[in-house]
Order: sequence, then C-alpha cells, then structure tokens
Amino acid sequence: MKVGVVGVGCSRFGTRDVTIQELAFEAVSEALKDAEISQDEIELSVVGCVGTRGYELMPAVVVNEYCGFSGKGPIRVEAACATGSAAVYSAYSSIKAGIADIAIAIGVEKMTEVDTATSAAIGGRAGNYLWEFHFYGTTFPAYYAMHATAHMARYGTTEKQLALAAVKAHRNAAKNPKAHFQKEISVEDVLKSRMITYPLKLYDCSPISDGASAAILASEKAVKEHGFDAVWIESVGYSSDTSNMSMRENYVGLKATRMAAEMAYKGAKITDPLNSFDLATVHDCFTIAEIMAYEDLGFCKKGEGGKFIEKGESDFGGKIPVNTFGGLKAKGHPLAATGVAMVYEAVKQLRGEAGSLQVDLKHYRALTHNVGGTGHFAWVFVLGR
Amino acid sequence: MIVESRELRMKHRIPVTKTERFWKGLEEGKVFKTVCKCGKSYYPPRAECVCGNSTEWAEVSGEGTVECFTVVHSIPAGYEWSKPYRIVIASFGDVRVMGWSEDELKVGDRVTLYTAKDGSGVWKVWFKKV
Repeated sequence: MKVGVVGVGCSRFGTRDVTIQELAFEAVSEALKDAEISQDEIELSVVGCVGTRGYELMPAVVVNEYCGFSGKGPIRVEAACATGSAAVYSAYSSIKAGIADIAIAIGVEKMTEVDTATSAAIGGRAGNYLWEFHFYGTTFPAYYAMHATAHMARYGTTEKQLALAAVKAHRNAAKNPKAHFQKEISVEDVLKSRMITYPLKLYDCSPISDGASAAILASEKAVKEHGFDAVWIESVGYSSDTSNMSMRENYVGLKATRMAAEMAYKGAKITDPLNSFDLATVHDCFTIAEIMAYEDLGFCKKGEGGKFIEKGESDFGGKIPVNTFGGLKAKGHPLAATGVAMVYEAVKQLRGEAGSLQVDLKHYRALTHNVGGTGHFAWVFVLGR
Repeated sequence: MIVESRELRMKHRIPVTKTERFWKGLEEGKVFKTVCKCGKSYYPPRAECVCGNSTEWAEVSGEGTVECFTVVHSIPAGYEWSKPYRIVIASFGDVRVMGWSEDELKVGDRVTLYTAKDGSGVWKVWFKKV
C-alpha cells in the first residue's frame, strides 16, 4: 500500500503573537484547504510537539481540540528537533498498517514564551542532562560547536565556509514570506557577529522561533477515491545514537544521519544520491550541521562539505539545491514544526508551486533530512511525484 | 496582549545511588568508568552492562587526547555564576571523557584530568594541558 501526502500547510515562522493551538490551526486549516477535505474525513491525528518551552506541558489535546480533531487521536510524539518527522512517520505507518486511510501529522512549537537563557538551558537538555548539562553546561549550540572544532581540525574546514551556509539560507529566506528572517546577509556579517559558542557566531545559529506545519497523508485507495493530487512517500529511513556526546565514535559527522540515509536510499533504490533529487531539505540548525549533512547524506565525500558549498553545488543551479526555503537557519526552527515543514517544502517544490524559489524538476524526487538533538535521532524521507 | 503564567519552579532530586562510586570519587580526585567482563567499557559509568552483567569500577587516568572543544559565551540558565567556559571531550583509551579546562586547548593536544569544584560548588572533571 503506497502512502501519499495529499495536503500541506505551514504557518509563518517567527515570534508569533498567538497561542500554540491557534498557531497549529493556521497550518491545519491550510492543509485541509489544500487537500480539499474537512476534519470529518481525517481518521487519525498525530500531534508532534517537544513542548518543553511552552506553558502547556501536555499540549496535544489542547491542539487537537482547537483544530477540530477531538476523538481522532491524538497520538503525541516527541523526538527532539526531529519530532515532526516522527509525527509524519506515525501517520504514515498507521496508513501502511491499514489502521487508517487518511491521517494528519501536525508539528507545532512555541519557543518564544521563555527568555533566551532559559531556552538555552532547555535546549542543553536535548542530550543527557545528568551526565552532561548538569556538570558542563552543554548548550545545544555547544554540541554542534564541538563538531565544528573537530571538523575544522581534521579537514581544514573554515569559518568562512560555514558562513556561506548562513548567507545562502538568508538569501533564500528573503524570498519566502513564511520565513522568520527576510534579510540577506554577507559573509562578513556572519564573521563579525557576536560569539555564541566558539566557533559558532550568532549568524551560524538558527533562531528561536514559533511555528506550525501540517501534512495530510492518505492511502493509495483513498487517493483514488478522493482524486487527491498526491506526492508519494517512496521510502523512509530512521536511526538514532547515544544520548551522551562523550560516547560517540567521532565528532566530524552524525552516524544517525548516515544510517537513516542508507535505509532510505535502500528503500527507494537510490545509489547515486547526488544525482537523484531535484532538491534536498537538510537539517541546518547550525551552519556546521549543513556542511556535515552534505557529507553524511552522500552528496560529497567526508571532509569535502566546505568545498561543496564553496562551489555552489547546493545552491540554485548547482547539483542539488539545498534548503531552498531558507532552511532552519533563516526560515526558522520551531522544533516539532521543522520535520513536517520539510515535507511541506518538498511537496510544494515537486508540485511546481514554489514560486520564485522553484527548482527545475527533472527527477521529480526530493529528500528531507531531519535531525533530533545532535544526531540523537535522524530521519530521511524520499518523496516523489 | 500578553498575560503571565503562574510561576512553576522545578528543581529535581536525582537518585545517583547506583553510580555513587563515581560521585564520591570526584570528591577524592578520582574519575571512574565501569567495565564489563563481556568487554564493554562505560563512560559515563553505569552499574549494569547492556548484556545483563553487573559492571566493575575502574579508574580513568593517564594522558588523554583532545577530540573536540568549544567555549560557551552565551551562558544558559543555571550557569549565571560562570564566565565563558571551555568544554572539552578527550579520549582516554577505550572511553571519552567530557570536562572543563582553564587551558587554551586545540584538537589533538595531550591532557591529564583532575577533579575540582566549579564556581557553584559542583565537583566535576577538569583537564590540564600536558
């Protein structure tokens, strides 16, 4: 049984003056309208929310009620920054299993209701609190910064190459009305910005954003019955790694990404990832994360991520345009919303509805790559039309 | 328009009985890992191996190699008392250890470890450049 994405919605990301349920409904109502169905036809709802920064500590039922899905779930899922992908997978697997024919995955996060120092302390708990944050104050940027120092030492990756990922993200986000930032920046702006955690500076980091996204999934049977315009989920790969950073094999990549990609590529029979997709959305919560993603997803060899972006291979016109909507870095990274928003973006591109950010379609295939924590979770989806 | 939530304070009481040797060790200047007769070593230490056996305590000592590091300038809640701090992961044989360091370190540097209280009174691992 094939499973298709038949409706997508995404709120504007940023500091949003709405409650979590109001925010979720923005995405849900857009997705329902996109699929041309009502709540009545949805059999199961999955609510992805990390929920550690909001005042609603158990937000699923609040979101579910406001969106009009009372009685149809909700299943609440959490996988740190990869929560959205876990939500999509939960809806996908319910359909695969024949439990539901039409299901919705919602990813929603309110991150701006607490102050920045509190947010940093919560983010630092995305690994193993007791053995790491408790003793050493490992914030989330610190975890990625440690990967950056390892990558720079081993492969000669430069702060300027990292900055290029931020510049590209902002350039794309400037054309995306749903992005948190709509301002282009220069390499110099990045290099001169305030140090957050060496070597990552303010503009190397994704912002703290509110946001919501939703994807309606349907079985092949339902697609035929309703006449939906479907983008098919061709394969899914997932993996995870140790909660303790000190237990990792090395710090120059994310093993969970490599494992998830291997599984997804095998499922979709992809042997040459660089030449199989029209675009990829990768998890660029920090600039170093995008550089490592190119390598771990097999777009280039390990250690060559810096050169890959320098050559423009991940830009429009390059071998594989990456994060055409501005990425987590400039569109924003409202944790649970991110993974579902990646599906939204892939669907919009594959349907040719991406406006001024549209890529040329040749393969009619897109990849989404969503990481939870610092490679604590990883998800890769292959979508095709 | 904004309204403020009722304040909620959370400070947890964390049971560390199974790894007490480690926590007491820090106060004695020692850093412990655990090892299992199946061949696995654990740092951070754990009392049970995933294979099901009980593990044994062993000291981490000697010289290690810096694998990666960072200096945190954007200070999170809970560390307001601290100036920017350097976090380091160094490998010591079959385990990797996280700690703080006052020394300027780079990847590949050789280090030794010691224990001391930080500015908030918490005993922890520190690294010194060799």
